[in-house]
Amino acid sequence: MVNEGDLALRMIGINKQFPGVLANDNINFELKAGEVHGLLGENGAGKTTLMNVLYGLHQPDSGEIYINGQKAEIASPKDANDLGIGMVHQHFMLVDNLTALENVVLGIPPERPPLLDLEPARARFEELVEEYDLGLDPNTPVWQLPVGDQQWLEIIKILFRETRILILDEPTAVLAPSQAMHLFRSVRRFAEEGNAIIFISHKLEEMKEVADWVTVLRDGHVVDTVDAGTAQPSQLAQMMVGRSVFLDRRERPPMDSKNEVLVIDQLNCLNDRGTPALRNLSLKVHTGEIVGVAGVDGNGQRELAECISGLRQPTSGIIHISDQLVSNVIRDTTLLGFIPEDRRKTGLVLGFTVAENLTLKTFGKTPYTKRGIIQWGLIREHANALIKDYDIRTPHSMVTTHHLSGGNQQRVVVARELSGEPALLVTCQPTRGLDIGSVEAVHKVLLRERNRGAAVLFISTELPEVMALSDRIIVMYKGEIMGELEAESADVNLIGELMLGHREASKVAVGGAG
Amino acid sequence: MKERKNVFLPIIGELVLTGGRPILAVVLALTVGAFLIIAYGKNPVEAYAAMLEGAVGSRAAIANTGVRTAPLLLGGLAVAFGFKAGLLNVGVEGQIYAGGAAAAAIGITPLPVPSWLHVTLAVIAGFIGGVLWGVIPTLLKAYRGISEIVITLMLNYVGIHFASLLIHEPSPLAKIDAFYPQSPNILPSARLPVLIKGTSLHAGLIIGLILAVIIHLALRYTPFGFRTRMTGQNPEAARYAGINVKKQIIIVLLLSAGLGGLVGTGEVLGLKWALYDFFAVGLGYDGIAVALMANSNPLAVILTAFFFGALRAGAGKMQVAVGIETPISQVVQALAVLFVIAIGFGERVRRTRLERGQEPEQEAVAHGG
Repeated sequence: MVNEGDLALRMIGINKQFPGVLANDNINFELKAGEVHGLLGENGAGKTTLMNVLYGLHQPDSGEIYINGQKAEIASPKDANDLGIGMVHQHFMLVDNLTALENVVLGIPPERPPLLDLEPARARFEELVEEYDLGLDPNTPVWQLPVGDQQWLEIIKILFRETRILILDEPTAVLAPSQAMHLFRSVRRFAEEGNAIIFISHKLEEMKEVADWVTVLRDGHVVDTVDAGTAQPSQLAQMMVGRSVFLDRRERPPMDSKNEVLVIDQLNCLNDRGTPALRNLSLKVHTGEIVGVAGVDGNGQRELAECISGLRQPTSGIIHISDQLVSNVIRDTTLLGFIPEDRRKTGLVLGFTVAENLTLKTFGKTPYTKRGIIQWGLIREHANALIKDYDIRTPHSMVTTHHLSGGNQQRVVVARELSGEPALLVTCQPTRGLDIGSVEAVHKVLLRERNRGAAVLFISTELPEVMALSDRIIVMYKGEIMGELEAESADVNLIGELMLGHREASKVAVGGAG
Repeated sequence: MKERKNVFLPIIGELVLTGGRPILAVVLALTVGAFLIIAYGKNPVEAYAAMLEGAVGSRAAIANTGVRTAPLLLGGLAVAFGFKAGLLNVGVEGQIYAGGAAAAAIGITPLPVPSWLHVTLAVIAGFIGGVLWGVIPTLLKAYRGISEIVITLMLNYVGIHFASLLIHEPSPLAKIDAFYPQSPNILPSARLPVLIKGTSLHAGLIIGLILAVIIHLALRYTPFGFRTRMTGQNPEAARYAGINVKKQIIIVLLLSAGLGGLVGTGEVLGLKWALYDFFAVGLGYDGIAVALMANSNPLAVILTAFFFGALRAGAGKMQVAVGIETPISQVVQALAVLFVIAIGFGERVRRTRLERGQEPEQEAVAHGG
């Protein structure tokens, strides 16, 4: 498949530093005309940053970019477009109330301004629809299009603009399998016409399906570039997660009693887009154990946490916590402690005081409300006690929460959710965006809860911390549990393969765990 | 020690800014107004002195200010209360007419009850009239997510003309053979009591003051208030905490509309003593300005309503004494609101910068220490 074509793109020594992270560390990347080049890596490996540099959304701190052998300065997406680079973002950039055709011509100067003649564009649109067999009506407003068609529209937009280098950022995330196959065929065809494609994905099978070469990124640098046709999935997985920085496994006392606390049976639910997020998921979590949920972001972890806490209605299936059926939002802090993914948006009311946030679920119950009157004195006392217990750095309990640092805001959420000594603790990405000290504090708290006898469901996309903290690890992929492993003896490469949806590995894993 | 200082200073700053914001805005507005007066070729000190005298210089002046304050206070409360739950009720204008019409319907009907009960029933009817006017936008907001702003605003026109229809024959609310379209006069038993003898200052002001205190206490000291503020500040977090956000929106928006109805009730039962065409033009929109300037704090609404009332009451005196047209008071009022918004905007920008700069700043501190 790989022809001795011209080098369409060369990126040399790209460096990009963000506060606290080196997102791209001296990256070299080459792309030939006529090839599809896969870019593989975990969240935060630097894929998106690299592509944003190429597309002119970020300026590199150092490094050079050559397009067709010419040195290029790409200061904005417009420069990128002028150089023949087009990008389809993971999140669509479409104007909902314009038609498909209008979206395509948006930003292209009309031939005879100020008049806008859509007819030539319409002819070309229909030509492309014909050529790629898309069945898109140019007159349909975007908001009426299914997401799959919106994805196609994004691609048509790019094809309209004389694109020679096409970047696709996780294009199959919203597509059904048959639609994805269609996309792969179109991508191959586009490449055969002498264009170059960068295909970003988490999914191993897709890489093998569509790409000629795969470059694996980890922690901001290139691990290796391999031939997609001959590469072994286990090899790619190892490159992706392999030699990451590991946390030491936390010491823990063995727990004698193992009672079922969380029981999930055949759970199905939809995500916000209305497509299946969980498929027949069954799971048990016992007293005194931390069950780590590993997986690439967006494989149903958030929906799982929301179903358990009663925020999302399952389409079918049953959830029990301590033999109580979950049917609504749980406010009983002795039953469930829930540390949500986005503390600033969902875990806290930032405009409220620390004291108010610490009683966000319990303010209406005795003793905090007596005869219909809120007892601010008690709420403040309660807050002061928690501030001391959980080491929340704030001058006093009546400080507005948005003045606190991220780590201290997270401590407020943790303190509130754990103060009732819940039977079950569910945490979703509890350490995301925190500094090392605060991460350490959260880990300690989770272990303490386990040792107290709580059942802990620990969802994280950071594999090292899942391996360091868990007693048992389950791996989620596309809303299913791909495998289950004892954390003590878990093989990181195996987890990596499971995270990428590699089925053969899952059989081994389930066999091994059973 | 360092950390304490860093966190503490903005808090004090915030307190000063929230409390001082309207006062600063008033000072700025009066200053700019002074330049306008100078541009007219008049002496601003004389002009403002006359205005002050016209607003609070005598018993009659105080009564006049009070009469103008009452509807601004009730309207300001309606908007401010809704805003606490994140709802912008810009339909007070229409609710005034719905409430006024309902109050008039009871007020012109002879009832075999004592006077205090008749007037109470009329006031309650006015409140319910406002609530009913709020039903459509409330349901659309809660169950269909349609902006309450658009619906309440559009219903204003419906409300105004609906009330007009009611006082034209053959409506039972129309006065027969009236020279000018109006309802029959409110019966003396249903009129709001006069507070200062020989003036028009009526009990509507007292109702407003009491409600301001009640709303303040409810927001601060009841679980209902807690839920309301939470819904307004972060509906997503409210949902996570198990609050029925839909129900909260329904209750608050209906109550807000009811308060809007009370504005018309006060004017009809206390001042006009009948329902007229266009009897309260613009009062509903003034309520938005009053609430905005008070940053939706019900106690601060008392002050801003009084400020606007005094400006209007004093404007007449200023015209007579110095010869400046009354619209200057409207200009000062508008300027005050604009300055409040400008100061608030400046504060938000500062806060956003602070939050954005937070992470790197901490890095720097960590490295520095």
